[in-house]
Amino acid sequence: MSILARISESVEAHAREVAQQVRRAREDAAFRTKLLKRWKAIRRDVGTVRTPTGLELPAIALPTTDDPGAIARFLFAEGLPGTFPFVNGTYRNLYSQSPSPGPPMEEPTRLFAGFGLAEDTNERFHFLTRHQRSIRLSTAFDGPTLYGLDSDSEGVFGKIGEGGVAIDTVEDMERLFHGFALGDERLSVSMTINGPAPIILAMYVAAARRRFGPRVVGKLRGTIQADILKEVQAQNEIIFPLEASLRFLSDMVAFTTTRMPRWYPISISGYHIAEAGATPVQQAAYTLSNGFTYVEHFRQRGLDVNQFGPRLSFFLDCGLDLEYVALARVCRKLWAIGMRDLFEADERAQLFRLHTQTSGRSLIADEFKNNLTRTAIELLMAYINGTNSCHSNSADEPFTTPSEEYVRLAAHAQSIILEESGLFRHMANLLGGSPGMQLVEQAVERAILDEFRVLDHLGGVLPAIEQRYQRAQIQAAAHRYEQQIADGTRPVIGLNRYVTPVDALAEPKVVRTPRHRKQHQVDRLRAFKRRHRAPAERALDALTRVVESNGNVFAELIKTVEHCSLGQITERLFAIVGRYRPSV
Amino acid sequence: MAEPIRILTAVPICDGHDSAINTINLEFIRHGIEVVYLGYHRPARDIVRAAIQEDVRAIGISSYNGGHVEFFAEVIDLLKKRGAAHIGVFGGGGGTITKADAAIMQRKGVHRIFFAGSPLDELTSFVRKHYCKRGRVASTGFPRGSAGRLRTARCIGFTGPGGAGKTTLIDELVLRWLSSQPDARIAILSHDPSIPGQGALLGDRAAMIYSQDDRVFMRSLATRGRAGGLSPESARWLRAMKDGGFDVIFVETVGVGQEALPFRRGLVDKSIFVTGSSYGSRLQLQKIAMLDAANIVVVNKADLAGASTAAAEIEERLQANQRGQHLITTVAKSHRDAGVDRLFQEIRP
Repeated sequence: MSILARISESVEAHAREVAQQVRRAREDAAFRTKLLKRWKAIRRDVGTVRTPTGLELPAIALPTTDDPGAIARFLFAEGLPGTFPFVNGTYRNLYSQSPSPGPPMEEPTRLFAGFGLAEDTNERFHFLTRHQRSIRLSTAFDGPTLYGLDSDSEGVFGKIGEGGVAIDTVEDMERLFHGFALGDERLSVSMTINGPAPIILAMYVAAARRRFGPRVVGKLRGTIQADILKEVQAQNEIIFPLEASLRFLSDMVAFTTTRMPRWYPISISGYHIAEAGATPVQQAAYTLSNGFTYVEHFRQRGLDVNQFGPRLSFFLDCGLDLEYVALARVCRKLWAIGMRDLFEADERAQLFRLHTQTSGRSLIADEFKNNLTRTAIELLMAYINGTNSCHSNSADEPFTTPSEEYVRLAAHAQSIILEESGLFRHMANLLGGSPGMQLVEQAVERAILDEFRVLDHLGGVLPAIEQRYQRAQIQAAAHRYEQQIADGTRPVIGLNRYVTPVDALAEPKVVRTPRHRKQHQVDRLRAFKRRHRAPAERALDALTRVVESNGNVFAELIKTVEHCSLGQITERLFAIVGRYRPSV
Repeated sequence: MAEPIRILTAVPICDGHDSAINTINLEFIRHGIEVVYLGYHRPARDIVRAAIQEDVRAIGISSYNGGHVEFFAEVIDLLKKRGAAHIGVFGGGGGTITKADAAIMQRKGVHRIFFAGSPLDELTSFVRKHYCKRGRVASTGFPRGSAGRLRTARCIGFTGPGGAGKTTLIDELVLRWLSSQPDARIAILSHDPSIPGQGALLGDRAAMIYSQDDRVFMRSLATRGRAGGLSPESARWLRAMKDGGFDVIFVETVGVGQEALPFRRGLVDKSIFVTGSSYGSRLQLQKIAMLDAANIVVVNKADLAGASTAAAEIEERLQANQRGQHLITTVAKSHRDAGVDRLFQEIRP
């Protein structure tokens, strides 16, 4: 039986357990007395809040019922916010704001940036963070970097610095973060890269050591995406065969959990699965099953679930479909049950820590200002779900790199929902436990478990991947979505309903990396390779020995990157472990 | 009936956005077009080589990751350099290709750029109208240095059920052949099914990573209504390849059923039946005709549950045949798989 079948069993066992508690609450007088006493205490301890208009309310919304069965059901099936199985949230007070002294500062949002050469992105980082109390940098890489190629590789010249920053060497990494105190506890860095993630993170560690000395390593904070399963299923940015990719990832996770305890070494992502066309349920089912597959894999490599578990985080899409109102709520529950019952993880390792991004796919170019409304509704659903952090898309994204105006409006939408509106400011858990929410939760949960059963029937996540199952399902869903838009069963305002002819949009200004800058990147990469010719060969041979002797590849990569470029390293690793063979 | 339009589609190097092209491919096929799909993250060199070898009328490129002005120009320059300027180039890239970019690209010879929101009908009718006549009869596209060589190519046929891993196995053999024999010239004749009343998706190239090489010639054929695993054109292509100066020719059939015997006498020198372990019961095994006809039987995906049982059952059957047939178990997806090494030793000269 694969882990997915066992998780389905655990969820069923949990449901039976809840049913039993409900029965006891109704039939067993002693148990009922104890429960009601506890319930009274919970209500008392919740405390009260006062709205600006003077209304007094409890700080956490709890069911108003006095029925012991209903109380037991709420406490055991959903849990208070911050309590197993975490349906109502990972923490007790997620969004409520305690006034902080001094003038209000904007809540730092991670602003995704990356273009041109390392210096260009560095300048942008400094500009974006100039007023922020804490610094959160989020890095996008260009195509060659995402595929582990050097800027001087054949046929990639046009792609240098497009859509992200070009990183070839540890020296580029130093330039990228020049002027930032990488060991500072108010700074965190996120890197969106998967296939060559271990090499890129090794460059980051090496660059930090060069500037701040070896002791900085343990203080580094940040996240690297490094989710190769979703790459195979949806995003296509995997470069080594799956088995080798998993091994390099495990080595990186082993290193960071012991030596870089503040680092999140993987962001298990449904976002790209959903953007590629998956339904909300498919997104949740594949993301969760990928997550459990990683946990099983890391454990087989001898890692301690209570050590790496708290360093796993998730990244989901939030679109306009109804399921999204409860999707993350169900995910938190299934993750917690699976981690507790199958992997004996402690409470910190049971938490489904979630970053949500609003749906890029739901945005359209026609009458694009409607996208502000779409994004606002998606944000609202993400917060109703209790996401731990959020990114809102800019309304102009369907046709251009986001402009400053729409980036600002997107960030302000979050502040309007959380700070200006009263929905989340005062009372936590506004809708948790309501009948509509419960019905959606139950339907979503059933559908996810059905998907688990299919995956289990196919032999588990990895065999299903080999049979192209997830890819085929995602592609079929994408096709259905397009057909629904075409035949009007999926209304899209301004596209297939209430279409108003509008003047063609002004051609957006697009930031492109000039030719001479691309050439500069190529030239300095070649100079780096010339300078390091002799030690590079030795470093690659040392790396080869570590790969072949089953040592920790990530620890070695931190040394390799001192002398070798990204492309030199991937080329050598291709020779040892082969290349990824695409499935289409 | 007019010969179907053949085009090639691909996503450029360093770009994995294949969602749009997947949808568009299906739409092309629905309209009777045969699409050779090269997959994503493909360099211009591979695209041009494949377009010439496959003798397509046009190349459609879907680019979402920037650098499109340079990339399309590179494809067009290479086509000119290789004497294949008759092959048209068109493409799209949602919102990433601006009108100004498109103007530059069209000046450089791109026939048409489709913008975000272009209806799919517009694409298919463009292809059907614009590429309905072939530009000219192209050369065979055989690799340089192969024609004129006095080689008698050995022809090896691969068949077996769909999903058994035939394409991967051939690609791994190509890798071994190319690296052990620097002057080797290899031909591959691959087959994919036509959809009745529609076109065909010829997608084997997309899963091949080592066969995109100047020393390898590959031709993808659609079955065009022919049953049994090959195409009406297969025999003609095999004759041409046999005189083409190649060292070896790999023929891959479409996925076949139990009763299929795709290689008639003399068509190939050696036939290999590739299967996984999911053929069903032992009884089903008895019905597979190729188990009697094949020179070599490969049980691929030997890492999966049930593979050792399958290997034992098949071995028993081959023993009973008493025809000197060999059984080899492989895990073709693994790099440097020892089983594939053994198969390579069996078939190399």
